[in-house]
Amino acid sequence: MSGLLSAAEWGVVALSLKVSVVAVILTLPPAYFLAWLLARRRFPGRILLDALVHLPLVLPPVVTGWLLLLAFGRSGPVGAWLDSVLGVTLVFRWTGAALAAAVMALPLMVRAMRLSIEAVDRRLVDAARTLGARPWRAFLTITLPLSAPGIAAGAMLGFARSLGEFGATITFASNIAGETRTLPLAIYTGLQVPGAEAQVARLSLISVALSIAALVISELLVRRSGGSRAHVL
Amino acid sequence: MQRAFSLVSRRLLLALLPALLASCQGGSSPPAAAKGPIVLAASSLQEALTEVAAAWKDHGHAAPVLSFAATSALARQVQQGAPADLFFSADEEWMDRLDHAGLVRSGTRGDVIGNQLVLIGPKGTAAHGLADLGDGRLSLADPAAVPAGKYAKAALESLGQWDAVAAKVAPAENVRAALALVERGEAPLGIVYATDALASDKVQVVATLPASSHPPIRYAVAVLTASQHPDAAGFRQFLQSAEAARIFEKHGFGAIK
Amino acid sequence: MFFEIELEHRIGERTIALQFQSQARLTALVGPSGAGKTTVLNCIAGLVTPDSGRIAVNGVVLHDRSHRIDLSPELRRAGYVFQDGRLFPHLRVMANLAYGERLAPAGARWIESAEVTELLGIRHLLQRMPGTLSGGEARRVAIGRALLSAPRFLLLDEPFGSLDPARAEELLQLVERIRDSLDIPILLVSHDRSEVERLAGEVVTLQ
Repeated sequence: MSGLLSAAEWGVVALSLKVSVVAVILTLPPAYFLAWLLARRRFPGRILLDALVHLPLVLPPVVTGWLLLLAFGRSGPVGAWLDSVLGVTLVFRWTGAALAAAVMALPLMVRAMRLSIEAVDRRLVDAARTLGARPWRAFLTITLPLSAPGIAAGAMLGFARSLGEFGATITFASNIAGETRTLPLAIYTGLQVPGAEAQVARLSLISVALSIAALVISELLVRRSGGSRAHVL
Repeated sequence: MQRAFSLVSRRLLLALLPALLASCQGGSSPPAAAKGPIVLAASSLQEALTEVAAAWKDHGHAAPVLSFAATSALARQVQQGAPADLFFSADEEWMDRLDHAGLVRSGTRGDVIGNQLVLIGPKGTAAHGLADLGDGRLSLADPAAVPAGKYAKAALESLGQWDAVAAKVAPAENVRAALALVERGEAPLGIVYATDALASDKVQVVATLPASSHPPIRYAVAVLTASQHPDAAGFRQFLQSAEAARIFEKHGFGAIK
Repeated sequence: MFFEIELEHRIGERTIALQFQSQARLTALVGPSGAGKTTVLNCIAGLVTPDSGRIAVNGVVLHDRSHRIDLSPELRRAGYVFQDGRLFPHLRVMANLAYGERLAPAGARWIESAEVTELLGIRHLLQRMPGTLSGGEARRVAIGRALLSAPRFLLLDEPFGSLDPARAEELLQLVERIRDSLDIPILLVSHDRSEVERLAGEVVTLQ
């Protein structure tokens, strides 16, 4: 197996996995919160929030990367604060690649989770309330467990999206070997150099395999969550 | 039912009539030749070439269509059969590649202008040289493929500085992207063309790299074999005219004697 | 005075208006289909806020618009047996039964789970998942779950609907037993005249 890729190439795969896993874990809580807000709450500006959440899905990734640069770059409002207060820089670092991947994965995760929260019958929550459960407890014991397959499906979908993230990453975090050169960027870099076709082919194969695996798992989880579990008996 | 159908088709015809008439007016829509030749040019030529093309247009020709990107990216497009008329490269190597592949029309290749490399920092920087890089990154165009990056690496190698900074390089997609990183302060130092530093008011030159430290920077232009535009040869000649030379020099490019 | 209900609520095109007081241990709420009987139960349970009115059970005011009193559902301690059961599909029968029991204030519990499972004949179902239960079994578990939540009163919404006659009879006898032996007012919604005649001490009609 070690003969399949060179050490450097395995490094690229490892970096990609690290960036994607971190991106998904960081995005899970805000994504679920947004999904719950949009599924269960009515408030002024709800449609606007929905549109904002979906923005990374429809904007050209380069634009998203540029917006991230404006906000989180060293001279941007958030970036400057992160740099001076926490000593954290995102540009040129794998953390920046993770942020870019997280932002691009967010809309997909919110969508998947929102669907599964909406599928949880509110009447079950009502029943829990009459049995003495406060809203928070009803959420934790009824809504959350019943929407869990949707959480898992959203996470896998976000993971697959993160693995393939390119435009926002290269614009925001740049293309630094060992730090931000994830699979897609490594393939792109390989294309720039004449004679690297074999390497490009190997990395592309891995990329396809990982993405298919993530998508298949996500689909299976969606099927499970769409079953009778979330309905009233 | 039939009456209704003919009613609908009549309405449809009435609705489409203006569009049909408009398409018949062939005179108002510009024929293919009214757009100028397609020029693929290195990103460092952006401001200068745009002005040269405008001058060409002022002489009564159709405005050339300019596409700026890293020379390596453009060369790849030509190799894949992109329908372009002229190729304006930032180094000889990429032009050689296309030439050997038979993609360049013989007799049309020539060197037009030269350039210099400079070390830059964001405006107001206190840096004096590479030693001030510290933990930061050195912003370059990708040294593996893009001319500006290749020149920079060659220069640093001949100056004995490459090994020290190799791990700190931030390879950008093209020289303008490298410039932008320094403009934004993301990278404390960068190496770009002197013309790029001139084009930006957010950076300042920290040092000029000696011309002897790298192969001479020569911008080559040629008409591509795939070209079919009647103006291609004319514009190619114009690029070496005195008027164009003045414009290039104004933007900081060196003339080829 | 067990039930003191006075409410008005607009639902879609219709307006529901109801006013009654009942001293009976089991009061039946009858009326044509679609009259809003379930909505009345939802108002009493606190799941729906009526446009206006006053709701008091056993002397405790649950809702009074004019005095700005509106207890949230978890504080009203209504033992609500829904028409559609509403067992939690991801919990076993045992956990379903215990759901309300665990949340009941310690001193307020007036019946043990062993007693309830005995009364309802559901001991053999404890480890089952709700999805595997028959209609009648699910209904009994729902009643058990409501009883175990230490309710101050019971709301039963068409508890005998869509059950075969043998099961329905069992359940009827069970409700009679609850009515007679447990010290707890019951409001029963039903459209079946014979059930009502048999069980109810007082009948309220909703137009």
